[in-house]
Amino acid sequence: MMTMLRATAASVIAATALLAGATAAPAQSAPELQPETSDTMRADPPNPNWFYVEGGWDSPGTSIFDGLTGKMKGLVDTARLTDFAIDPAGRYYYVAESLWSRRDRGTRQDMVTVYDTRDMKRQAEITIPGRILIGARKNNFVISDDGRWAFVYNLDPASSVNIVDLAARKFRSNVELPGCASMMPNPGIGFSALCSDGSLATVDVTGKKPAITRTAPFFQATDDPIFDNYAYDLAKKQAVFLTYTGLIYTAAIAAQPVVAQPFSIQAAAGLRPGDTKPLDVNWMPGGRQPMALHRPSGHMFVLMHMGEMWTHKESGTEIWDVDLAAKKVVRRLPLKEPMNNIAVTQTAAPLLFVDGEGRKGWIIDPATGEKKHEIENAGGGVITVVDPS
Amino acid sequence: MKLFDADAIGETILRRLAGRTSRRGILSRAGLALVAAPVFPLLPVSRAQASKPDRSAEAKTAFARNAQSKDDTKCDYWRYCAIDGALCTCCGGGIHSCPPGAEPSPVSWVGTCINPDDGKAYLIAYRDCCGKPACGQCGCDNTDRETQLYTPQLNNDVIWCFGTSSMEYHCSTAVLVGAAG
Repeated sequence: MMTMLRATAASVIAATALLAGATAAPAQSAPELQPETSDTMRADPPNPNWFYVEGGWDSPGTSIFDGLTGKMKGLVDTARLTDFAIDPAGRYYYVAESLWSRRDRGTRQDMVTVYDTRDMKRQAEITIPGRILIGARKNNFVISDDGRWAFVYNLDPASSVNIVDLAARKFRSNVELPGCASMMPNPGIGFSALCSDGSLATVDVTGKKPAITRTAPFFQATDDPIFDNYAYDLAKKQAVFLTYTGLIYTAAIAAQPVVAQPFSIQAAAGLRPGDTKPLDVNWMPGGRQPMALHRPSGHMFVLMHMGEMWTHKESGTEIWDVDLAAKKVVRRLPLKEPMNNIAVTQTAAPLLFVDGEGRKGWIIDPATGEKKHEIENAGGGVITVVDPS
Repeated sequence: MKLFDADAIGETILRRLAGRTSRRGILSRAGLALVAAPVFPLLPVSRAQASKPDRSAEAKTAFARNAQSKDDTKCDYWRYCAIDGALCTCCGGGIHSCPPGAEPSPVSWVGTCINPDDGKAYLIAYRDCCGKPACGQCGCDNTDRETQLYTPQLNNDVIWCFGTSSMEYHCSTAVLVGAAG
């Protein structure tokens, strides 16, 4: 009995030793899990392949997506009705915003808030006298080509522009600009803006007092308006405008801008030009951010839909690739779902980002039309890219 | 191509006002806000002097051809031809009334809409109701003759809560201003 017991005990010990050996073996090769501490990631510098996608009215915040991987890289703190811009040198994100001391009431405070692009912490809040509340606009808050000045559009309801010295981080001056809005930087001069008389105004801020000059009227501001989310190329000093009916204007931006004769996007695709007449159903441009300019190649990508005049907010069911120099639509990319905003990276192999009412984001290779990534809940707002020009 | 003189006149008036008014004085700013609203009723007078507009079905926009006059809680109600936002009629308010506790903006953007019952065009002032969080009911975005920001009085994306105690947007009304010719 004792022998048997001993034998059993010996085998139990042996079995236990075996088991212990079996479980102990991996512990010797894998590192022991350690307790963790919380920390914060540091962001990479702004990347030419990144898209900055505004959430939209119901879900503010500007999400950063890597176009190559479709992965989210971070989020810029943009509340509802703010405007977002990137320092050309890549050091800062700028947010023009309006806050009230008691949520939606109390003392109003307007400012340009400066974020470091790497730790994404607030660096400064530059107080300004006011700004428009509108949202979904690209050209109400623009940065000069050298990164020194910010131009902030204001409507209260008189129309003016607040100029901010970003180097000194101080508000500098206010320029009254009646009847004009939707700005672009004008290198070495100040800025230019579209006007309700169909002209382009240029504001020279280099003198003691701002000097405003205007081109002759060239478009019909109430009958065939230019989309105010137009595109410009600071390196080439060229702006590209698109009207509701599909006219494309290019303008050389200088102290005295020169606007070229327009061409029809539909005619550039071999179709009859768009018209303002009711019942004239045609391919028309539309959306909140209906066009994106690939500056290195001079190709413009436009969201197009079938409709009549005054359907200019309708989402696009196709993307048209326009070679601006040749005045030809060289490719038409159908979209499986209508999309409302479009942007393109400024890289040698560009990528498109589109989003729409459903907040879905698609990254598309414009060379093939292939959808590279689909991002659920990416956002429904306007899109910004790094402009290395 | 020149289709809507009333709009152009309205734009001119607003621009002239803005041009003459120094925006540095709070009084002038408030004055502009207060003046801008009564200016719009003058528009139909100018419009009436223009040549008689074509109101045939062929001349109507897609919205006007399909508009109805019975239910002002629907986006296709005729007065909403250029509205953008939540309909106050769905938020406890009315066609020209703000919901309880909200405050109407004294300034607005405008639209020219055709009443299907009489075939006539009317000037509509889209006055925002302000001071409460977004209502969120009956969101509409109609864009007849809706333009861009350089003609702000014809743009329906601007938050028009100027001259109110709070600039928070709640909902939008469609106030009939008068016949537009």
